[in-house]
Formats: sequence, structure tokens, C-alpha cells
Amino acid sequence: MELVRSLGSWAMGAAMAISATLALPLNASGAARAATPAADLLITGAKPDQLFIIDAATRSIRTEYHLAGANGQIFTIVTSPDQRIAYLLVDKMERILGIELATGREVFRADLSAPDERVKDFFALTVTPDGKELIAYELPTRLKPSEYIVEEPRFAVFRTDAGLAAKPVRSYPAPRRIHMLLMRPNGSTFYALGFDLYEYDVKTGKLLDTRGIQKWALADHSQPDLLAFWPVTEPTGVFTSPVYSELKKDDKGVPMTALMSLNLKSGELAYADFEPLSALIFSTVLSPDRSHAYGVYTTLTSVDMAGHRLEKRVPLDHTFYAVNVSTDGREIYVGGTNCDVGFYDAKTLAKNAILKLPGCSDQTLSTLRVIHDH
Amino acid sequence: MSELKPTNRKAELLLDAVAEGHVAEVLAMETVAGCATTFDPGWEVDPFGGVASLCQPMEADLYGCSDPCWWPAQVPDTMSTYPNWDAGKPSAPGDWRDLDSVFPKK
Repeated sequence: MELVRSLGSWAMGAAMAISATLALPLNASGAARAATPAADLLITGAKPDQLFIIDAATRSIRTEYHLAGANGQIFTIVTSPDQRIAYLLVDKMERILGIELATGREVFRADLSAPDERVKDFFALTVTPDGKELIAYELPTRLKPSEYIVEEPRFAVFRTDAGLAAKPVRSYPAPRRIHMLLMRPNGSTFYALGFDLYEYDVKTGKLLDTRGIQKWALADHSQPDLLAFWPVTEPTGVFTSPVYSELKKDDKGVPMTALMSLNLKSGELAYADFEPLSALIFSTVLSPDRSHAYGVYTTLTSVDMAGHRLEKRVPLDHTFYAVNVSTDGREIYVGGTNCDVGFYDAKTLAKNAILKLPGCSDQTLSTLRVIHDH
Repeated sequence: MSELKPTNRKAELLLDAVAEGHVAEVLAMETVAGCATTFDPGWEVDPFGGVASLCQPMEADLYGCSDPCWWPAQVPDTMSTYPNWDAGKPSAPGDWRDLDSVFPKK
């Protein structure tokens, strides 16, 4: 079924190249929503080389690109501040591609490894607010003829206009076990999430601050556990993640789920328990009005932020890793594994629609991002 | 550690880590980076001691484990050791029958 609709200016070329496919709405409430001038577009990747741009309003695939350099999967997706370029961690975590979303043209490529040095970037990259620099986290291993030598990790800074053979313009030491980088809006510092939360100067690489994650100081709580591979900060500029720990109570340990929130602008870092652990959550996102957080794994969870309490939980069709929320706050998007993207009502958590990706290729930990149709 | 004895060189390194005061670096699941640091229970049991909170179904988690080298003892890692294990098989629910067992190269 062909979809005919007006298109935003930047996506015109892309839409001309690819025919759109409609997902079937499940019920009346799931009927395709009217497109708006700044409708949400979702970006996700799938094996082995597919990058999808999805029109959330019509539950349809606007664009599908096959990326020659992906080599297996697309992990982390970070967009440029103007949302015209998507930076993708691909090729066994050894390559970063910059893809112009309107055309699918590759405008940036950084091959992290060299013949004698294997470099993996475990999910962590970010782009400066001016769009001029990209920071990657590098885990290097020197490949000697008879042995591998594990080298010290580092942050590598690339110019985004460096083209298809980008080399770092500077690099500086980094801690081990970093799995996420989050740029601050001031453009001068960025956060690195690892065993703790580190803040670095973009220009000098100087470590400016360390705050506890593993060494958090939450009274009567055990060392926390968190898994945060999805650097989603839209639409609020606040990163959130579930955190698991044991609350010491009457000489017993009660497993609890807390929500970690990190405001990238103010730097405020907060933790708040919202339920005794009763279901796993892999990733969360904050609603535009910051009144709710939504989490996914085998269930979809709604958390009342003001009351610090579980508000609602419904089962999902299968595990989803990644979650995001519509810009108007009315709908929750889920994805990140298997081959479908789900659309759920933010108030009722009812399923509105499921969009199957062509070929049912697996999304494999891909970030599910929301950008706007300019 | 006093009740455990290393049986190979790699395990001996754990004793060295204890002697050098690096025990604190071997901690819980948080911040996994690389194959060897993943010690949390795998596909057999969930945090509640059952299986209900494992990924559902298994195919929803198959490539989510193989691609970032998660639980490499249970799933071939495509990140380094078996990079072509999933070649031509992009759909875990559709292609799982064609995914072969792997064996260490001698």
C-alpha cells in the first residue's frame, strides 16, 4: 500500500527514493494520527545494515537505507544538533558512520581500529552542541604476533567535517567500563557513565568531577546496579535509567527499583526508589512535562515522578530494549530488539499500533531516537 | 577466595588481583564493557530465581547477546570471535534454525 502525503523539506529526497509501507493499526484508537508540521520521526537500525526513518504519525517507514559500512548491526545512534545527520556505531563497535538523513549519503566515517590495534567503542559516543566534534570512547588492544596487549582506554575527539577517513584530532585518558557519553548543553563538558558519573572538559580532557553511581551515598541502600546503553535524553534533556539496589530494612535486604535522573543542563543527579523490585526494566524515558517516566523490558511501566511510585504496568508482546516518547507526550515508542516498533498510549499504556520492519531484521540494541520533521 | 584454587593461569591472575588490592574492581553487573566482565546470571535464571523475567521470547535477546559479546559462553560472540555467525540471518525469530553451534578453533 502506497502512502501519499506531504513531506518535510529535508526528507523529500529520501522519501522519493523509498516507497513507504503502512503498518496496520490494531483498533480504532490506533488509527494513524494526523500528521503535524513537526511530526515525530523515529530512527532505528536493524541487521545487517539497515537504517530506518519512521513516520510516527502514520506508523509508516518513510525511508530505509542500506549502509555499506555497517557490517552486521547498528548499535548507538546519536544525531547532530540540527538532526540532519545520524552518527552510528557499527561494524562490531569498531566504526562510526555519519549518515545524512535526507539522502542516505555517508558524510563521516571513523574506523577506530588499525591493523595492529583493535579498538572497540562500547556504545559510548556523543556530539558537541555546535555539531563540529564527535567524542568516542575507545577500548584499544595492541595485536602483537604472539600476544594481545590490553591498552589504556581513552576518549577520542573527531572533527565531524573530517570526511570518510576521520582521525582523532585529540585524545585523552578515560576510565574503564564507560558505556555512555552525554554531552552537556554548554558544549564545554560532557558526562561519561561508568562505575561512577564522570564529567570531562571537551577541549582539554581534564576530569572535572566524579559523582557516585556505584559509590552512591543513598542511605540504607546497597551498592546499585544499572544497565544503561541507550543515551536517550529527548525530549527533556534529562537522562533517566532504572537502578536496582537493596534497601536495608529490619536487618533484611529488600530489593528496590529506583529511577536515576541526570539533568544535562543543570547537572542535577537524583535517585528515588519507586517500587520494591517486581519487574525488570532495561531503559526509561521521561515524559515532556516530566510528570512520568516510562520503562520497558518484558513489560511497559509508567512511573509517577512526583509521587515516586509505580503507576501502571502492562505486559508487552515480547521484550523490548529501547523506549522513547512522543514530543507531545501522548504516545510511547518501544523498539531496540526483534523487528517491530510499538506505539502505546502514554496514559492507558494500551497498544495503539505495531510497525513490522521489512524482512523482520533484528534491531539488536539499536537506540530508538525521536527527531522532528522539519 | 580461600576455598577456591586456581586451575589455570587466568584463574591465578584473580589471586594476583586479590594480593594487589584490586578486588574492588570485580563487582556486580553494572557497567558491563567487554566479554570477560560479564558474570551475572545468564539465560538460565532471572534475578528472582526463576525464568519469567528473562527476555521473552529467547529470540528477542539472541542478537542482543551475541552482538555485544554478552554471555559468550552461552551465545557465540559476533563482536570478535565469530564475526560471521549471523551472516545472512538477520532475523532471530525467522533464522534461528540456521544458526549453527560453534566450537573453539584448535
